[in-house]
Amino acid sequence: MADRRKLEAGMAVLTIFGALLLLPPLVYVFNQPISHLGVPQIVIYLFAVWLLLIIATALLTRALPREDSSAAEDD
Amino acid sequence: MLSADFVIATAVGYVCLLFVLAYFGDRRARANKKSFLHSPWVYTLSISVYCTSWTFYGAVGNAARSGLEFLTIYLGPTLVFVGWWFLLRRLVRISHNQRLTSVADLLSSRFGKSNRLAVLVTCIAVIGIAPYIALQLKAVTSSIQAVAGSSEFGQGSLAGIDDVGLAFGIAAGMALFTILFGTRHVDAKEQHHGVVAAIAFEAVVKLTALVAVGIFVVYVGGGFEAIFSRAAEMGVSTPTANSFDDRWLTTLALSVAAIVCLPRQFQVTVVENSDENHLRTAGWAFPAYMLLMSLFILPIAMFGLTSMPAGSNPDMFALTLPISQGQDALALFAFIGGFSSATSMIILESIALSIMVSNHIIMPLVLRYSAVGPSGDGQGVSRLLLVARRFSIVLILSLGFFYFFFTRDSNALAPIGLISFTAIAQFFPVVLAALFWRDASLKAATAAIAAGFVVWVWCSFLPSFESVSPQVSLLLREGPWGIGWLRPQALFGLEGLDPLTHAAVWSLTINVATLTIVSLFTTQSALERIQATLFVDVFRQGSAPQGNFVRGSATANDLFFVAERVLGERRAAAIFETAARESGVDPDMLEPSSEFIGKLERELAGSIGAASAHVMLSKVVSGSDVSLEEVMQMAEENQQVIEYSQQLEKTSAELRSTAQKLEDANAQLRELDSQKDEFLSQVSHEVRTPMTSIRSFSEILLDPGDIDEGQKQHFVSTIHQESLRLTKLLDEILDLSALERGERTWDNVPIDAEAALDRALRVCDGMLRQRGMRVELGERAPATMVEGDADRLCQVFINLVSNAVKYNDAEAPVLRVTSSVKSGNYVVDIADNGPGIPKAERKLIFEKFARGQHGAVEQSGAGLGLAISRQIVARMSGSLDLVPGPLPGACFRVRLDVMP
Repeated sequence: MADRRKLEAGMAVLTIFGALLLLPPLVYVFNQPISHLGVPQIVIYLFAVWLLLIIATALLTRALPREDSSAAEDD
Repeated sequence: MLSADFVIATAVGYVCLLFVLAYFGDRRARANKKSFLHSPWVYTLSISVYCTSWTFYGAVGNAARSGLEFLTIYLGPTLVFVGWWFLLRRLVRISHNQRLTSVADLLSSRFGKSNRLAVLVTCIAVIGIAPYIALQLKAVTSSIQAVAGSSEFGQGSLAGIDDVGLAFGIAAGMALFTILFGTRHVDAKEQHHGVVAAIAFEAVVKLTALVAVGIFVVYVGGGFEAIFSRAAEMGVSTPTANSFDDRWLTTLALSVAAIVCLPRQFQVTVVENSDENHLRTAGWAFPAYMLLMSLFILPIAMFGLTSMPAGSNPDMFALTLPISQGQDALALFAFIGGFSSATSMIILESIALSIMVSNHIIMPLVLRYSAVGPSGDGQGVSRLLLVARRFSIVLILSLGFFYFFFTRDSNALAPIGLISFTAIAQFFPVVLAALFWRDASLKAATAAIAAGFVVWVWCSFLPSFESVSPQVSLLLREGPWGIGWLRPQALFGLEGLDPLTHAAVWSLTINVATLTIVSLFTTQSALERIQATLFVDVFRQGSAPQGNFVRGSATANDLFFVAERVLGERRAAAIFETAARESGVDPDMLEPSSEFIGKLERELAGSIGAASAHVMLSKVVSGSDVSLEEVMQMAEENQQVIEYSQQLEKTSAELRSTAQKLEDANAQLRELDSQKDEFLSQVSHEVRTPMTSIRSFSEILLDPGDIDEGQKQHFVSTIHQESLRLTKLLDEILDLSALERGERTWDNVPIDAEAALDRALRVCDGMLRQRGMRVELGERAPATMVEGDADRLCQVFINLVSNAVKYNDAEAPVLRVTSSVKSGNYVVDIADNGPGIPKAERKLIFEKFARGQHGAVEQSGAGLGLAISRQIVARMSGSLDLVPGPLPGACFRVRLDVMP
């Protein structure tokens, strides 16, 4: 298992790159008047990035250590 | 055909169902802490209150009008949840530690428990949310009218009632409903399990409804491809080309701020969170929920644009498309879905805002103007709080209604929501500073929020009344008193920008600039510094108890009076009893320590907010001779002394360890020295014995006396034997010292260890026969390759076997040899039934010159054999040990790595 600091760095990279992929100028790369199966390419691109972020977060989170539940509250 | 009456009846029935759900959810959650209501899934679903009727209706309209922009509202929050580890986890942890009740409480608590800041934040939130509530009222009103207008008989009892009347009825109904189920009691932690359960249920309903409409539309439209290509043919292709402009960036940034700072989102995500680990699920599940919600928005919008008559309201496509296709059941379901999304937002938002209003505005006023000190009246504060909250709910919904009333002519939903987002985004820079920047000060935070809010009112809120007020529209065109650079949508001459971007850029820029610059020029109070550390270093410390009070004249009795009023008698008594038990005294004799007062303050803060709790306890805990500032100074001086002494301690510890190391090295040297001496004396001793006999025999031979030939022969052979023994001894000593110093090297090559063992046994055969020793061959390994030197290995085996022969004094001596391969190791056991080795000597036998006591007398060896053997085996990366054996005597085990 990768150590915790690296996982944290991974989450940071995921968040930052997720943002970069959704912002100009990187979105322009896929913003072409092309359609795949009738759906504009940019729509497919945005949903794919979205799905990728969800899956990557789920995987990274699984590797991260859980918090001690008792830290929640005492009463 | 759906009629308005039927639809309204369904809505009322649905609300009743929610009420029942909330009621039983509350009881269930209270009764059972492990109930599914405490699961991460319910938590995630409750966060989905973010998807309001703005999503359900407005996103379709937004997609129809401006293409992909609607996605930013969901992509921003996705980014926040993807990075939950950095922001949300921190917020939740702080909220648990500090018992936060709202975003206003968060900021007030962080900036020195300032009530002024809390009031400011509360007021801005209430005003800023009004458009958002108006949006929900508008959406529900439009949806009922869309259903009613679809048939000539549909009006039912709505005939003659205009949209204002309808919206008023909805607002009043919502207020009643929220009061009934959000303010039944004051919870110590402001958690509303019942409401959360109902919200989670609504989340499922609205998702299912929108997905159902989406699937229906895709089915009717003939699939994604057909819908998109038909739209392209009719010239309403997705206006994507210009989607990624400054507006894209602005709405994305605003939605990032909104998901954190919106009062209802803060309530569900942070305050209602019962377990930090729930964020692990929400981190990906909430983005997934939003993705599902958005999946069909674009097809619905495209299909609506191509199939509905021109001029129909695109905001209502999710409802009007099923109606136009004659699908009444689906239309009703879509209506309930939209209704769900509106009600859940209104309920939670008004609960969250009412907590802020009652805790930060009403409670402090009551505290100031009535003596709720130890000598106050007997009325419980709980009751007052409830009344305050009910009043606030009515106020909040009224504001929403008034906003709706004034702006009812504007038609799109999404722009109204974005006005609210811009207002709420003013909290975001300060929230970030509160969590990450130690030096952010109260004055800076207050100034920043106030400045951002003023710009928002001017640039965003005011222009939204353009269509109803000629004065406002004149202002927009000409500026106040004709001053052009103050025009709300072209501030400081920044023209040509989209109004939303304009408002967001100016308000947030001025906000951030004020925050940073004022922070740099102001100093924090003592309490601010304490709180800043608690917030910024939340993951660095344990749960450090904060005692912000110095114990003054307060008695447990006084404190109990206060606690009882706010928390109720049972809870207060429980807290005091626990404290008494912990300090081991009778509850009546409890001496309130500053830790205890700190704990009590946090408990009170959970009900009435940090600032109010602080003020309340300050009233009781007064008369202290030392001020907080002085204590802080004392603490700082103490800190310096402690640091200094820690440094000293560290230095002296370093010195001690150096001295210890020197001592150890010295001891080691002395040990080596004495070992050398010992070795020399032993060698001398060993050499001396044969030398003495050689000398004496040779002297006899030299003496020209009468020695017969037989005796002469005997003496000479003795001398020969002794010199052989001497040579052997010297050879062994040389061998051992060469081995030890690593001079005698050999190449470890692959050899067959079994062959070496066989050879050793053959060599020893004569010796064994001579002693009459029976050899038992046990289990034998197959031919096994190890790395080593065959002759040396053979030497080790011979040595072990000959030892077994030499020291065995049994009547029927037995030698048992087994070899095997176990998990990569080649293991040979050589055991005998001799006397064995006494416990005391087991450690010594591998040392030089250490011979076993038994049989030592008649033995000729110098006691180097085992030492040499061990060295040899070690050179082959193996080990030679004494192990408990199968026979009564000793058992030596040789272990070598098998070659892979």
